Amino acid sequence: MKPTFSGSLLLFAAIALLLQGCSSPEDKSSSIRVRWSHDPETLNVLQPPSQPAFDAANLIYTSLLHSNFSTEKLEPALAEDYPTTQYIGDSLTRLSYHIRSVATWDDGRPVLATDVDFTLKLMFCPGLPNETAQLEFDFIRALIPDPNDPRHFTLECRGQSLEYPQSSGEFFIVPEAAVDPKGLLRRFTLAELQRLPPNAPADSALVRVARQYQAFAPGALPGCGPYQLSAWEKDRYLTFRRKEKWWGSKIQPTPFVLQARPSQLDFVIIPDASTASLALQRGDLDVFPQVPAREFARLQNSSAARAKLAFYSVPSYDVVTAGFNTRRPALADALTRKALGRCFDTAGLIKATQLGAGQQTVGIISPLDRANYNDSLAPLPFDLTAAAAMLRQAGWRRESTADDAGLVRTKAQGELQRLRLVVRYRAEESTFATAALQFQAAAASIGVAVSLLPTEAGSFAATLKSGDFDMYVRTLKGNPFMFNYVPLYHSRALGQSNVTGFSTPASDRLIDAITRARTPKRKSQLLRRFQTMLQTEAPIIPLFFLPTRVAANRNLTGLHVNSLKPGFAITTVERSAVPSPTTTP
Amino acid sequence: MAWSLLWRFSRTLLAVWALASVVFLLSHHDTDTAAQFALSDSSEFVGSGSSSDSAKYQAAQSAVLHRLGLDLPLFYVGRITFSPSGASQWQWHGFANQYHRWLTGVLKGDLGTSFRTGQTVSARLLQALAYTLPLTGTAAMLSVLAALGLAQRLAAGPWWQRPVRTLLVSLHALPLFVVALLLLLLFANPEVFAWFPTYGLDQPTTLTASPWARTATYVLHMVLPITALILTALPDLTLQLTASLTHELGSDYAATARAKGLSGSAVIRHHALRNALLPTLTQIAELLPALVAGALVVEVVFALPGMGRLLAEAAASRDYPVLVGGVLLTGAARLLALLLADLLYLWADPRIRWQP
Amino acid sequence: MTRTFGSWPRKLAVGWLTLVVLTALLASVLPLPYSPGVPDLLNASEPPFTSGSHWLGTDPQGRDVLSLLVFGARTAVLLTLPAALFSAIVGGVLGGAAGFCGNRARVAFPYWLLAVGVMWWALQLPLPMLGVAVAALGAGLAAAAQLRENTLAAWPVPINALVMGAATTLDTIPRLVLVVAIAAGTGLSTTGLLALFTLTTWPHAARLVRAQMLRVRTLPFIEAARAAGVTEYRIWLQHAMPHALQPLRTAFPLSVAGLLGLESTLSFLGIGLPPNVASWGRLMATVRVAPDAWWSFIFPSIMLILSIISLSSLSKKQ
Repeated sequence: MKPTFSGSLLLFAAIALLLQGCSSPEDKSSSIRVRWSHDPETLNVLQPPSQPAFDAANLIYTSLLHSNFSTEKLEPALAEDYPTTQYIGDSLTRLSYHIRSVATWDDGRPVLATDVDFTLKLMFCPGLPNETAQLEFDFIRALIPDPNDPRHFTLECRGQSLEYPQSSGEFFIVPEAAVDPKGLLRRFTLAELQRLPPNAPADSALVRVARQYQAFAPGALPGCGPYQLSAWEKDRYLTFRRKEKWWGSKIQPTPFVLQARPSQLDFVIIPDASTASLALQRGDLDVFPQVPAREFARLQNSSAARAKLAFYSVPSYDVVTAGFNTRRPALADALTRKALGRCFDTAGLIKATQLGAGQQTVGIISPLDRANYNDSLAPLPFDLTAAAAMLRQAGWRRESTADDAGLVRTKAQGELQRLRLVVRYRAEESTFATAALQFQAAAASIGVAVSLLPTEAGSFAATLKSGDFDMYVRTLKGNPFMFNYVPLYHSRALGQSNVTGFSTPASDRLIDAITRARTPKRKSQLLRRFQTMLQTEAPIIPLFFLPTRVAANRNLTGLHVNSLKPGFAITTVERSAVPSPTTTP
Repeated sequence: MAWSLLWRFSRTLLAVWALASVVFLLSHHDTDTAAQFALSDSSEFVGSGSSSDSAKYQAAQSAVLHRLGLDLPLFYVGRITFSPSGASQWQWHGFANQYHRWLTGVLKGDLGTSFRTGQTVSARLLQALAYTLPLTGTAAMLSVLAALGLAQRLAAGPWWQRPVRTLLVSLHALPLFVVALLLLLLFANPEVFAWFPTYGLDQPTTLTASPWARTATYVLHMVLPITALILTALPDLTLQLTASLTHELGSDYAATARAKGLSGSAVIRHHALRNALLPTLTQIAELLPALVAGALVVEVVFALPGMGRLLAEAAASRDYPVLVGGVLLTGAARLLALLLADLLYLWADPRIRWQP
Repeated sequence: MTRTFGSWPRKLAVGWLTLVVLTALLASVLPLPYSPGVPDLLNASEPPFTSGSHWLGTDPQGRDVLSLLVFGARTAVLLTLPAALFSAIVGGVLGGAAGFCGNRARVAFPYWLLAVGVMWWALQLPLPMLGVAVAALGAGLAAAAQLRENTLAAWPVPINALVMGAATTLDTIPRLVLVVAIAAGTGLSTTGLLALFTLTTWPHAARLVRAQMLRVRTLPFIEAARAAGVTEYRIWLQHAMPHALQPLRTAFPLSVAGLLGLESTLSFLGIGLPPNVASWGRLMATVRVAPDAWWSFIFPSIMLILSIISLSSLSKKQ
């Protein structure tokens, strides 16, 4: 029983010191190491399930259009140019694409319209994990090939929208020759597959295609992107190597979206932020996206970290929002909702949770979007006196029996309503907890009883959908491209994604008009009206936009930190020999 | 004896089956959430391009349920509630149910495929076990040895007994993640001591290094996680063992042994230790399932792959096949540990009779 | 009483625990500058002993650490301690029974009828009244047997297997599954939380006591008592249990710390106490999001460590 605890620790320390010599500085020049907090789990091309999965798929596969992280616009990638739009009647749109002639698969075959057609059909092939893709791309009705040019094709879309030219190009293209060499799916038209009833008996050809697709190990399905997955250790790291003959480099000058500068990319999975921060400071990590606010500030204030690291902070399109369940009788009137909205101390919350780096907003459109953001509105002030007055105006009065029993009002039918609120938020997020606590304290001071119910992350969405809440605090994730508010606020989405239950005929008309708008100017007018409407009706209270914080090794250039996900351009990063000058904005 | 052993073993098997069934039924309660994980949550995205009809969404949801095999009834029987009257009644669902399908799969050695990755569950579990066992196994062995050594000395009552006990109690009061983070911030921090690496098992770049260098890197990466595990397992074990050793030393036979002229440490080693081990044996046996279940906190803090993270993430994202498979494995280990503990009691104190 | 307050460490321990209990009971009338549920957003994560009015600083959410400590003491005394006590009692009784009786305890068959009937009725199986009838029959038979003092046929109850099986099941089910199954999204009341704590922590105590009981029941004095004609129940309760509960002396104080950890884990999973109820465990857990805010971790740790040391020095034999 000799090896006691202290002895073993000493032994370990000795081993450690001895080994320190062996693990001398490693060769860090070639690869760029990026931190991910979670394993992407699967690289399903049809619908990448998470942001890391999407970023990984983005390296292996290519879509017709691709986000340019320096201009924050969608730009042609596999397509030669933006599609040309042709409106047919008032319910059809035709979009014509041309695939770049240099684009090839790894085996040298060209990328053709048949591949795009195959991908679209694969999205509707039963038995595959493609349900989200179906919801997203069911507006494409058919692909009309050009008999004279195999690289040219036209997408026929249901309805008309300014966004179709963008959203129609945002899916990864799958090689038909690799998955379906016999062309089994060619026997079906896209419309036939889309109409397939859910309980239809399985067609043997479709089953075969589905099986072939799923037989590929994750990341092994060949793509026409610049990188290949060379190693994937679950929960540890993913390594991507640049292809030796990448067709994008044949185009000179190479467009931003087709650039592939790093020869090797390592994504290391480090769940804990403190661990990732230490690794970054030691140079074991090059890029740390989404640094928590306090850790970011601490590193910025440490002289040792400043010497090695560069810090970037830009606004993102994610907005922290409070929402109401408007189906509750007590919350059915806008006046009560607006009064409660005045109980959020947004400026204080930005200071406490983001250390001042957030941006107050009037609506769910980012202030970055100057064309569409309604700057004539003012964000709701933190004003408890006004809130109390508005509540009185809405008919609420203190219950006479006891002082702290809360507010009540009598409706026309004589029923007594009580203003007692349950606020739900995801349990693990401290920003939401702080906002909820602040709201609770403020509301209590004007007599509104609020109880907080942190909810397990997995069941949060289901609970909101079932309507089991009075208020929520959550992040709504946005982007600068799409302005389709049907899922959030239209009556067609009631019972599903419209969790607030808010809808009026006027708001439905406005939302439909936004999706149908034909010119950007008209659209921005409508969007401004939409923001005004949201502020007057107040089914949600947008609080502030979160920042994107990236800390990276100082000798990296071409990071292009931006407001889109994942916050920086992975494929244009390069390691310069000389540390770059400080670029902290 | 052989019969008794066989009987106990079969009872353990029965218990494993019951346990896995309970977890299967408990977890599969909530299939809608599982379906929602497969679809993106469109209430979270502003301006998504997703088609938003409630009917279409519902159709997509039932397609997901069908693909995952969650559209079948859960069990052979179930309660059906009639919507207008609100009355409910038991109903026989037949053999086309999720539980039957899973059970027949398990009997054939097929634990199913993961909802998230499409990998087979057994492959995923084996992969995770290969990482977890060396970590937790080493930690368990070292902490048992350390506890045995330390407790024998503490029971002899030296002058440093009180401060060490206080230290152990304080250590026990610290949660594991605090211990792990402290170790990390002290010994892997460039601002304090950067003796050990911060994360993972090795670096992707060392894949090409020589076997010796790779082993060295591996050992180096394991030092802090193992230390964290030892530090948290040690106080409980040591204090319990010390307490029962002290108790035994106060009994008659120990006094007799001392009267015969045996030294204090000899009395402990030859007489008291065996008896004192009994309650501690349970704790030691409980380390076995912990070996298999992994150490979630340590895995998260030191970014190690393993069972703890696998099961936690499976539970959080409602990946039921992986979750139930993991529970089956841990439960089997736990019941085996129970059997082992009973065998060890018999060894430690032959007077204990085996129960029929 | 003089023996209890014997040595210096004991006096200190009693003093400290009294202080904690008094703080807990008087928490709401103490003149605290801040309330524990109200975040001071402009001074979040403020270090202690600085110019500000927060003596012990604020946590990363802007709540006053001193108030959290005081109200955390209340939670510890009113929730954690009772939970530890309950689980020790439940675990002790079940583990003791399992170790003492093994699988041989016999129950007369009318009681079996009673149990089956009640189960039938509770599950609302077809014809629930049949269950009631069976239960009534069982009860009648049992009463009749009691009156006539004749022995009925008895079937063995595998107490050991039942207890250990339940313990193993509870230990092995991942906490998240349990949480989702028990309280999916609805949250728990304080009583519910107390029950959940007891439910998840008794197995450890039960194992310890059962292991000790296996040894105790073979000791000579048990045989002697049996020879003297003492009933099995009295032997168990008065002779065997006091010895078998020995391991809990050490385990009980340690389990308080374990429960505080469990409480913060449950909060993290989104069940536990509502966030406006202060707790030491949750305050300690903030070290995860803000490792440099040492004050929000050190102070509750000191409170906890002192309390556990006091408890364990009181639980030791003199």
